[in-house]
Amino acid sequence: MKKSLIKLENVWKIYLMGDVEVAALKDVSMSIDEGEFVAIVGSSGSGKSTLMHLVGCLDLPTKGSVFLDNKDISSMRESELAQIRGKKIGFIFQQFNLIPNLTALENVMLPLEFQNMDGGEAKEKAMALLNVVGLDDRMHHRPSQLSGGQQQRVAIARALSTNPDVILADEPTGNLDSGSGSEVLSLLEKLWKQEGKTLIMVTHDLNLARRSQRQIHLKDGKLWSVKT
Amino acid sequence: MKIQKSLKLAVNILLHSKLRSWLTIIGIVIGVAAIVAIVSIGEGAQVSVNERLGGLGADIVTISPGFQRATGNFRGFGDGEGSATTSQKNLTNKDIQTIKSVNNILFVNGIVSGRADTSYLAETASLSIQGVDPLAWSNMITTGLSSGRYLNSGDTNMIVIGSRVAASTFKQSLVVNRDITIEGKPFKIVGILESSGNGDNIIYMPIDQARDILNKSTDYYDSISFKVADASQVDAVVNETTQRLMISRQLLGKTQDFSITSAQAIQEQIQSVTQTFTIFLGAIAAVSLLVGAVGIANTMFTSVLEKTKEIGIMKAIGAKNRDIMAIFMLNSALVGFAGGVMGILLGIGISTLLPQFLGGIAGLGRGGITTVVPLSLVIEAILISVLLGMLAGAIPAYRASKLKPVDALRYE
Repeated sequence: MKKSLIKLENVWKIYLMGDVEVAALKDVSMSIDEGEFVAIVGSSGSGKSTLMHLVGCLDLPTKGSVFLDNKDISSMRESELAQIRGKKIGFIFQQFNLIPNLTALENVMLPLEFQNMDGGEAKEKAMALLNVVGLDDRMHHRPSQLSGGQQQRVAIARALSTNPDVILADEPTGNLDSGSGSEVLSLLEKLWKQEGKTLIMVTHDLNLARRSQRQIHLKDGKLWSVKT
Repeated sequence: MKIQKSLKLAVNILLHSKLRSWLTIIGIVIGVAAIVAIVSIGEGAQVSVNERLGGLGADIVTISPGFQRATGNFRGFGDGEGSATTSQKNLTNKDIQTIKSVNNILFVNGIVSGRADTSYLAETASLSIQGVDPLAWSNMITTGLSSGRYLNSGDTNMIVIGSRVAASTFKQSLVVNRDITIEGKPFKIVGILESSGNGDNIIYMPIDQARDILNKSTDYYDSISFKVADASQVDAVVNETTQRLMISRQLLGKTQDFSITSAQAIQEQIQSVTQTFTIFLGAIAAVSLLVGAVGIANTMFTSVLEKTKEIGIMKAIGAKNRDIMAIFMLNSALVGFAGGVMGILLGIGISTLLPQFLGGIAGLGRGGITTVVPLSLVIEAILISVLLGMLAGAIPAYRASKLKPVDALRYE
C-alpha cells in the first residue's frame, strides 16, 4: 500500500462576506497518496480553488485538519508554512504568475534563492530545468517576451526547482490554446511518470481530468464523487 | 533568503518603477540639495572669514579710542562707526608704555591713519596711509611680500604698498624702487605686499612721516595693536591690558573709553553668527526632507499595493515574511539613497553656481564667497536619506510582509 501524503479530515473553510458566512468547503475528508496523479474537478464556486489553497499551505482551514506528510499544518506558523511551500510544494497557476521584471532564468532561480541556495548552484539547476522544459534558448527573456505556452513551461520549471514532493497545478491549461495546452499537459504527465512526483491538478475540464488516475469531484463545497 | 539576493530584487523593483515613483523622491532630492548647498555655502563663508581674519593673525589685538556699548562686537573693524561712543580721549605714548609693561606681549605697534593725495606720473589719487612702528609692524604683519622688503627701523621716505595700490591704482603698475609723491613729498617703494583681502589698499610708512603728512601730533595714535606671545593667552592678556589701561587712564569706577578687540574674538563672533544662520536655514531645508520622506512612504504604500500579486507569488514559492520585509525595506532604502545622491549632486551644483549670482548682486564678487563641501556632509546626507527611506518604508514593508498569501494571490 502506498503512503498517504496529503490527508484532509473534516475540513471546513468558512469566509465572511460582509455579515454573511459562506462555507466554501463543507466537511471535506480525503487522502492523496504519494506519487498519485489526481484531478480535482468542479465548476466555478465549487470550492476547488479553496481546496487547492489548503493543500498548498497557502491558507488554513476554519475547522478540521490538513496533514501533509503526517504533519498537521493547521497549527503551524506562517514562517513554517512558507518553509513547507518552498520545499515540498511546487505551484503552477492558470495565470502563470511569473514575476514580470525577472527573466525566465531568474524566475526559476527565485524559489532556490528563497531557500538560501548558493547563487551559482541555483543558476546551474535552473538552467538544467529550463533545458528539460525545452526553453534553453529563452532563458534571458522576460515573461512578456514569451508566449503563453512558454510562460507556463517556465512556471513548470520553477515549480520543479526545489524538487518538491507535490506539484499543484491550478487550471494549468486554462489560459492556453489547445495546442500548447496539450503540450503543457504532456510535459506534466511526463514529469509525473519520470520523477514520481505527486501531481494534483485542479480543472473544470473533464477531458483533462480523464488523463489523471483519480478524479475528485466537488460541488457546492462538498465532495461529490471520487472516480478512479 | 540571502541579503544580497534581497538587494538584487530591491534594485530590480527600483529600476522598473514607474515615473511617478521617481517623482516622489524629488522631495528628498530637494531637501538634501538645499541642506548640502546651505551647509557648503556656510562652510565656505567660515573658511573665507577665517582666511580674511586669519590674515590679521589670531594673536593680534587692536585697541582704538572710544567705547561702544551693546553693538561693540565688530568694533575695530574698518574705521569703527561708533554710535554710542562715550568719550573720545585719544590714545597716547603713555598708553603704549602701559601696554608694553604687560607680560606676554611681543610687539606693540602704534598706528596713525588717514588719507593722502598720492601722485605718480601726473595721476593723483586719494589713498589710505598707515603710519606704523616699522620694527613692530614688520614682525606683526601676516601678509607676505610679493616683491621687495618690509619696513626697517631707520627707514625714511620709504613705503610698503598693498597689492591693489600697486596693481590697479595708477595706469602704470607700481614696482619696487619706483618713487611716488605723497602730499608733495617723494617716497620710494621698498616693498609690495601680496594680495590678502585685508589692507590691499593701504600704503604703509614709518609713523613719524605719516604724522607729518596727516598733520597729527607726536603724542597721538589712531589705534594701537599688539602681538601676544601665544595665541592661547590672548584672552588673559586682553584682560590684563584692559585693567592696566583703566588704571593708567584713570578710569577706575568710570566707563571704559577705549575698545580692545582681538582678531580671535571677531573670528569667533562671526563664526557663531554664520553657524546660527546655517543651522537656521538647514532646519528649514530639513522640513523639505521630512516632506520627502512622507512622499517615499506614500510611494511605498502604492508600490506594495501594485506588487500585491507578486508578493503572493513569492510567498507561494517559499518567501518568508522577513524576505518580503527585507525586499521592500531595501527598496525604500534604495529610493532614499538615490534621492540622497541626486540631492548631493544638485546641492553641489547649486553651491557652485549660487555664490556667483550672489556675488554679482551683493558686490561680493572677486571670488568673495567660496563654497566647501565637506566629505562628512556628503556621507551624512546619504546616511540620513537612506535612513529616512527605510523609516518611510517600514510600515508599507511590514504590511507587505503580513499579507496573507491566498489573498495576495487573488489580488488583481
